[in-house]
Amino acid sequence: MSALEQRPIVIAPSSGWRPIDLREVWEYRELLAIFVWRDIKVRYRQTLLGVVWVVAQPLLTALIFTVLFNRMAKIDAGNVPYSLFIMVGLVPWSFFSAGVSASGNSLIGSSHLISKVYFPRVIVPAASVLSGFVDMVVTVALVVVMTLVYRVGLGPQILFLPLAIAVAAVFAFGVGLWLSALNVEYRDVRVVIPFLLQLWMYATPVVYPLHVVPERYRWIAAINPMTGIVETFRAAMLGGAVPWSALGYSVAVTLMVLVSGAYYFRRMERLFADVL
Amino acid sequence: MTRAIEAEHLAKKYLIGGVKEMSYRTLRDSLGSLFRRRGGAPARETIWALRDVSFTVDRGEVIGIIGRNGAGKSTLLKILSRITEPTSGLARLYGRAGSLLEVGTGFHPELTGRENIFLNGAILGMRRAEIARKLDEIVAFAEIGQFLDTPVKRYSSGMYVRLAFAVAAHLDTEILIVDEVLAVGDVSFQRKCLNKMEDVGRHGRTILYVSHNLASITRLCPRAMLVDAGRIVHDGPSHEVVRHYLHSDLGTTAAREWPDNATAPADDVVRLRAVRVRSGGAVTSKVDIRRPVDIEVEWEALEGGHPLVPNLHFQNEEGLVVFVTADLDPEWRGRARAPGRYVSTAHVPGNYFSEGTLVVSVAVSTMDPVRVHVYERDAVAFDVVDVLSGDTARGDYGGQIPGVVRPLLPWTNQLLAPAEMTR
Repeated sequence: MSALEQRPIVIAPSSGWRPIDLREVWEYRELLAIFVWRDIKVRYRQTLLGVVWVVAQPLLTALIFTVLFNRMAKIDAGNVPYSLFIMVGLVPWSFFSAGVSASGNSLIGSSHLISKVYFPRVIVPAASVLSGFVDMVVTVALVVVMTLVYRVGLGPQILFLPLAIAVAAVFAFGVGLWLSALNVEYRDVRVVIPFLLQLWMYATPVVYPLHVVPERYRWIAAINPMTGIVETFRAAMLGGAVPWSALGYSVAVTLMVLVSGAYYFRRMERLFADVL
Repeated sequence: MTRAIEAEHLAKKYLIGGVKEMSYRTLRDSLGSLFRRRGGAPARETIWALRDVSFTVDRGEVIGIIGRNGAGKSTLLKILSRITEPTSGLARLYGRAGSLLEVGTGFHPELTGRENIFLNGAILGMRRAEIARKLDEIVAFAEIGQFLDTPVKRYSSGMYVRLAFAVAAHLDTEILIVDEVLAVGDVSFQRKCLNKMEDVGRHGRTILYVSHNLASITRLCPRAMLVDAGRIVHDGPSHEVVRHYLHSDLGTTAAREWPDNATAPADDVVRLRAVRVRSGGAVTSKVDIRRPVDIEVEWEALEGGHPLVPNLHFQNEEGLVVFVTADLDPEWRGRARAPGRYVSTAHVPGNYFSEGTLVVSVAVSTMDPVRVHVYERDAVAFDVVDVLSGDTARGDYGGQIPGVVRPLLPWTNQLLAPAEMTR
């Protein structure tokens, strides 16, 4: 028996702002893994088309946006085919948006578990973000195929891809911590999430390139941490300079949201079982 | 003896505001309260689900916890399982603790039996390697054989429950907290689980076991605690505690009333108002075995259009269901009830029950499709007593009489032939 297990478990009222007990989360890593595995397995088993759907969905979305913005609104993406440009924007955005949406609703969705078993609650939103990785990897592979088809050469800058994905994942988790904890107390957060994400997408250069944004609206893109993430992802896939200052800003905001979210989550955690 | 659990002055407070218990709010409520003057917010009542609970448990002890509904048993288990925090007080658990407040927690219908074993095991706190090691044993225990790789949504309900139990039964933490999980499943499988738990107890593990099944408490647990109104009112050898429970007002409550909308058992359609045991017209918890007993259910139909059927479940002190009865009053049968207050009374004839305590659970349901609107377990109870007057089914016999019911049956005799003719 390890020394850790010899220590008695002390049950007492907690109060105030406490950090997340990382050692305890580590103890429960197998449960985190199994939640991720369950989410993925169930998602692909329930849908008849499975992986086909994962591929078809972004392709159809990209097609619609291409028709809307490129053919009808005549927005140009410069030297990259517009459909590819959109796809490359949609991959990190969809990953982020699915992560926020799933983790934001995760505690409510797991209320049955939370009222019956103890485990560090933070692994519920964490698992929701992590289970989005499979979809993301599939769509990245799709984009790689598209770059080959369009002969937009993949360069060494692809090495920055994991960085962009990591920041997107952590940011989604941070936002998810806030939203999931808020969602327990205020049920209308559930209704707000899709609306928030939709607005946020249009405030992010996903379906339009940054250079078409009029000067007086540039500040929106500048304060939006998703700008740096999406632009870095694009630079990594399509070639081009990594926007270091924008990415640095994204990382800073991500860390702030993550830490504050973790404390807020922890503060609300003790109420979850009583409220759910 | 080594300590396993120490609880010191545990207390738990719940807030009851308006209608819902400690419920979620909407943003509008919170924003609204910003603009409302202080004190204008609806008064929030506090309820102490648990107060000043202290006890110690030694390693290897198996302890039963009994008490009527709402006494605080579940709150105590939830605190010791770390699902909810105490409002004040402290508890220490020495050793790995696992809790079974339900079987099959987290089971996913789309996943196979094997996958659910791993998922459920992990949720209960078992390591992957540990589950893998016990897999064969669990499968054998569950008797699911070739269905191991079939999604559990295709399982019969019996198989589903057996699998859930099998995983739970193999949770071998040093401290095990069990809540009433044996209330489902078929009888022979229940027996098997009880035996498995007894084994677990013999291996020096500490078990806290909450149950309504008093017989299983006395059989499994040398020691028991009686919880009432958030306090431990009795702690000692389980047969003594069970006897105390049965002979106190806690075990036999002839009338329950819920004047307050906030605490009355209710859903959108039905609200339970009162349940009473009457014999000879008066509300009583002592019933003469010869006299009829009326169980009176006072309830409200909150929404029209439902053919609502009050029904009663009679259980004896061993937890055995003596019978179930539903309201078949021809005047109301199949008819939608208009919103309003109703009193439905079941008339049980005299000379029907055995001596002992009968516990009545009350439900109001819709039958087609089946929907249980309210269900109050152990709502009322009463003692059936034989006054040894000679005119009961007991006759002139003074000893113990086994049996779930004790009808006074008409007997007939015929003298076929006088004695001298048989020679």
